[in-house]
Amino acid sequence: MSDSIFRSEVQAFLASSLTPEIKRAGELMTSVFSDFDAGLAWHKILYKKGWVAPDWPLEHGGTGWSLSQRYIFQEECKLANAPALFALGLQMLGPMLIQCGTEEQKQQYLPRILSGEDAWCQGYSEPGAGSDLASLMTAAVRDGDDYIINGSKIWTSYAQHSNRIFCLVRTSKEGKPQAGISFILIDMDTAGLTVEPIVGLDGTVEQCQVFFDSVRVPAANLVGEENQGWQVAKSLLEFERGGHNYAIDHKKQMAKIRRQASSQYSANRVLWKDNPVFSAKFADVAVDALALEFTELRVKGAFEAGENAGPLSSLTKVMGTEIGQRFNELSLEIMAEHAFVKQLDALTPSFEGEVIGPACGLTTMPEYINNRSATIYGGTAEIQRDIIAKRVLLL
Amino acid sequence: MAAPQKFNETLLLSAFCSFNQTLSRVSTDMFIEYSEEQTMLRDSAEKYLRDNYSFENRQATVKKSAGFNAEQWQTFADLGWLAMTFQEDAGGFGGGALETMILCEQFGKYLVLEPYLESVVLVGGLIEAGGQAAIREQYLSGLIAGQLQGALAYLEEGSVGDPLQVQMRAESSAGGFLLSGKKTVVLNGPEADFFLVTARTEATDQSSDQGISLFVLDKNATGLSRKNYKTYDGRSACELELINVSVGPDAVLGELGDAHELALPVFHRAVVAVCAEAVGAMDALMTATVDYTKQRKQFGQPLSSFQVLRHRMADMYMEIELTRSLLMATAWKLDNSAPDAAQCVSALKAKMGKAGRFVSHNAIQLHGGIGTTDEFSVGHYFKRLAAIGLMFGSRDSHLSRYNQL
Repeated sequence: MSDSIFRSEVQAFLASSLTPEIKRAGELMTSVFSDFDAGLAWHKILYKKGWVAPDWPLEHGGTGWSLSQRYIFQEECKLANAPALFALGLQMLGPMLIQCGTEEQKQQYLPRILSGEDAWCQGYSEPGAGSDLASLMTAAVRDGDDYIINGSKIWTSYAQHSNRIFCLVRTSKEGKPQAGISFILIDMDTAGLTVEPIVGLDGTVEQCQVFFDSVRVPAANLVGEENQGWQVAKSLLEFERGGHNYAIDHKKQMAKIRRQASSQYSANRVLWKDNPVFSAKFADVAVDALALEFTELRVKGAFEAGENAGPLSSLTKVMGTEIGQRFNELSLEIMAEHAFVKQLDALTPSFEGEVIGPACGLTTMPEYINNRSATIYGGTAEIQRDIIAKRVLLL
Repeated sequence: MAAPQKFNETLLLSAFCSFNQTLSRVSTDMFIEYSEEQTMLRDSAEKYLRDNYSFENRQATVKKSAGFNAEQWQTFADLGWLAMTFQEDAGGFGGGALETMILCEQFGKYLVLEPYLESVVLVGGLIEAGGQAAIREQYLSGLIAGQLQGALAYLEEGSVGDPLQVQMRAESSAGGFLLSGKKTVVLNGPEADFFLVTARTEATDQSSDQGISLFVLDKNATGLSRKNYKTYDGRSACELELINVSVGPDAVLGELGDAHELALPVFHRAVVAVCAEAVGAMDALMTATVDYTKQRKQFGQPLSSFQVLRHRMADMYMEIELTRSLLMATAWKLDNSAPDAAQCVSALKAKMGKAGRFVSHNAIQLHGGIGTTDEFSVGHYFKRLAAIGLMFGSRDSHLSRYNQL
């Protein structure tokens, strides 16, 4: 099938399957996360169609699409305002289990990730272990057939919506810090596990802190060998960094900026058409976004050819997030004071009241605010630059 | 308070002057030193806010429906802060842009929510500048005593970034006027006892600076309705709708059709006020970031030992100091009616826009996740700086005004 035929097929599917409320959730996204319920509803529609895990191998529920088909699919979903799927199970744990899980683990978890029955969150960072992840302290102590886990994880996105968590825990204090870490799967309803929400700067809750007070977990939930968790996690982090197509996010941002700047609300009204300063600033970011898009395609090509995209994924993560932040700033400049109005209820997809001020500026301020964390999560921009310096430039 | 001797003027090094003359038309022949009264004002404001305006109490106010803490406002009045910049014949202490700057810098440092900008700098400033005796009598002493709240309603759907884009019309009617139209993002609107509203009284072009008038409207005026809300930076604001609001000729503030000329110096003062607030906020972020990076350890050492972060903090510091220099110079020039004062106002607002982003973005970045939480103050400074950066014209609009002046 040619790419253009495939694209039309995807477009037709989106046109018929995206309900107004699900689409609304996509339009109202103010971070990488969408409204959980709407995202899950969309997940189930995709699952029914067999399109929920295009990146997985065919035999495990993938689509068998080519790289470019997968890219087209993501792009069309984004531009049609499909909400983001809560993707830690699909994008991270699933591929990892396929690679290093036991048969039992695959059979137990993979189908439930695909169906949306399980929502997985990620327990990596700790209050004392952020950029220096390997210094993590949450301890798992062997007790018969179980581990007893004590400690705390933080910045656990959507833990409040998740029924399972995959964690890095310390199983040994011998040798290098990295050498005593294990990767383990935990049910959120296990006794001793509690979740505390963290209110973000926009006033909503995306992040949580998870506490483990003598949480008993079967040793069979270990993925990979004991003390081999760091290797497992490292390959996953590269998934997290390299697996995301920032250029597609940028296209959605650019489309929004064009709409805002052409509206009667834009600062000075003529900002878009007649303001050479703004036009030049927009073009400056747009050109960087285009260069990044081609870089992402190169990375994907290399990955498809079996090369390890590792360090290049640091490049796309830094540039992708920083370009996104620059677009947020341009949006803010267009909407100016219109963006001040805080109306969190109007940002929920089920809202039926009247929006105060221009609807095209509703997400502007929370997007700007929330996206500051993009250069922090998944390895800070500083850590990524260190990786490039060390592993690419061999400094 | 006697009018203070504001500055000791000295010439900067001649080498610097000649260097400067080749680059800019802005005169830099001044050296800034606070008077004793000004130093006292700064120190007492700092001390009061340090002792009485904790971040926790501030956040408790943000979570309430009222826009600010009325007790704090009354204390500000009792301390003489609200009177500070009014002339003595209006019951004030005769302070100028410099006193505005000194107070607002402290307000920024402590993230003060109370509407000093809205009620005193803008509304008080406009009434003092243009108000007829009756209007001054009715409103000024109440504003200064902290008993009245005002709000300036000038933004419209298409006017953000440009106060001249006034569409609202005031039609002559039976010796007075009928006002109809909408105003948006009226800061302090929910708390206001009265509004100053811009409207066109002549059929001038939508972006003309001629033919705009300012009207004083009571909050209970028939035909006026408001829709209240909070802003992302924790303030209160409203949308204002006017349907055939009828006012007499005495509701016009200043000369008919001359609101632009009347408002320009007040907007200049307001730019100094918000930029001083920004400098105070940036100072607070700088301190917080330096402290945090010294204390937070990763890879077995404090974050402050990593060169890339040390340089970033050095850059933050330099941005703040450059902004502070422009701020002080601009306040001084406004008070001395220097011919290049307007150009300095635009230079200041443009510089603040850039510095505010750089400093707040990096303060969050260097704090990491904790900087993105509602519980921690850093993000609240960031949100306030974002708002200030957009008020009274963005960096770009001031850059182009700087070039044109």
